[in-house]
Amino acid sequence: MPRFRQHTGLYLMFIPVIVYFLIFLYFPLLRAFTISLQEFRMIGDRPFVGLDQYKAVLADPFFWQALKNTLMIGAGQLAFGFVASLLAALSLGEVLNPLFRKINQMILYLPHLFSWVIVGGIWIVLLSPDGGMINELLKLAGLGQPVHFLAEERYARWIMIGTSVWKEMGYTCIIYLAAMTLINPSLYEAARIDGAGRLKQLLYVTLPQLVPTMKTVFVLQLLGVLRMFDQLVVMRNPAIYREVDVLMTYVYENGIQQFQMDLASAASFLIIAATLLLTFIFSRVSKYDLS
Amino acid sequence: MQSYKIAAPAASKRGKGLNRRPRLWSGAADTRLHPALRAVNGLLLILLSLTMILPIWNSLIISLSGSLASMQPGLRFLPADFSLEGYQRVWSRMALWRPFMNNVIVTFAGTLLHVLLCSMAGYTLMIRFFPFKRLLVGFLFVTMTVPSEAILIPLYIVNKELGLLNTLSALVLSGIVSGFSILLMASFFRSVPYEMQESARIDGAGDLRILFRIYMPLAASGIATVTLFEFVSRWNQFTPALLYISDSSKYTLQIALRSLIILSDSTSGSDVTTPNVRMAGVMIAILPLLAIYPFVQRYFVQGLTAGAMKE
Repeated sequence: MPRFRQHTGLYLMFIPVIVYFLIFLYFPLLRAFTISLQEFRMIGDRPFVGLDQYKAVLADPFFWQALKNTLMIGAGQLAFGFVASLLAALSLGEVLNPLFRKINQMILYLPHLFSWVIVGGIWIVLLSPDGGMINELLKLAGLGQPVHFLAEERYARWIMIGTSVWKEMGYTCIIYLAAMTLINPSLYEAARIDGAGRLKQLLYVTLPQLVPTMKTVFVLQLLGVLRMFDQLVVMRNPAIYREVDVLMTYVYENGIQQFQMDLASAASFLIIAATLLLTFIFSRVSKYDLS
Repeated sequence: MQSYKIAAPAASKRGKGLNRRPRLWSGAADTRLHPALRAVNGLLLILLSLTMILPIWNSLIISLSGSLASMQPGLRFLPADFSLEGYQRVWSRMALWRPFMNNVIVTFAGTLLHVLLCSMAGYTLMIRFFPFKRLLVGFLFVTMTVPSEAILIPLYIVNKELGLLNTLSALVLSGIVSGFSILLMASFFRSVPYEMQESARIDGAGDLRILFRIYMPLAASGIATVTLFEFVSRWNQFTPALLYISDSSKYTLQIALRSLIILSDSTSGSDVTTPNVRMAGVMIAILPLLAIYPFVQRYFVQGLTAGAMKE
């Protein structure tokens, strides 16, 4: 007990954290689970209906469409984001002039500072059919009629992928760059003595040494994919809903806008389950520890 | 308490590494790229940077164009018919100053409280042994695996029941602590010699005093990192505002801009939002971020490195 009292100050300093997470995380989590088993009304009784809401979600073609869109857009963002940021990091690593490297680094990271409302706003104007810069450039290249990019289903997902790579590549690039500075120089020396050229040093030293970082980045971004929301809320429009509605917009639409909180809670529990499952699998596979 | 002030904050040495070239080929001249390849590499980097800059530049020149000129098609790299009309209209006539002020309030209050509470919790976790420490860590770990977006519905209900809908308090409260910041703080505090805390305790100093007088000053650059991350994410805070705020006098910048930029096509009436007005809104929203960015870039890098290297 005296040992316990000695640490009173420590516990007191942690209390706000506990209170906050109990009210705004653990309790809502429990609440979401109960709601997902009920027929929910804001006022009045809420009969329990078992797994009916889950069945309703799984029978909803819009849910499956949202899942498909999430996976397709997410896969694109992961793949292209990975290649772009890695290439940028390797390229920055070759720059000798520190000022030039620093300026490029700063510029690459810049879009990550902006919210999706800003990035969406910037790109909606760029892609606009009347006078947007992209269309003006296409016209200059003699490619005919202006395209209404954001209203065409076949471009929709690509635009979500492209703008996301544009926004986030600098962030990932800096992570790779930081990991590259930590590679032991003697590895390169040893490779050189064994007669490895530059390409071989890249293939057999740099890239293998970056694999742990790649795994970390991959897990974090994979979890990010399941919760993508802001970008789509900002950039979608009725013409392309079918192609770019994702899981979180599905939850938001059904829960907040159409007030079917029971259905939406069931859907979000499926998302949580998927997140936990993926975290588990990949922490096993990559030995990556979130803490 | 003077004696605790020790020079050379240990944490500030981190993060500087990125401003040097990664020592891949450790200086030997024959390992540099062939000059021609290096030129190509530099050129590609310039192109890449241009794809980042041009979209922002495009928004800037539209915001500085006259209302009529901003609607004209044509490729431009300088403002057409230079005027500040867009800024005047969006700031006073469309009253963007109000969401801007709301944003300032939420950002400052939120960031201050976040840094304070997270540094307290981080200090607790930095202490090596005390009863129930593992329980606290586990409690925090769970919060980091549950995506907050996934509990958006019950969060809405909780805020409604607490009477927080349409208040700025709801926005300040949302994310007032985070597992990420707490662990980051703890790791910065760990770079301060552990004995300092022990000897101060023997001298009779309490935990709060030790935290504020010793740890915060010594881990100042760590504190700066968390503060900046939080400042930026508060300034950009979107989802909570979208959920909890429907009263337009309580709008924050991101929500106000969303209706200005995205939904404005459908607004009728005399005030047609021309492109220069919209882009002026965008510029006003990113100006504070751009203004601090060059000075604080180092801390961003430091935070990223600390966050990513923790595996």
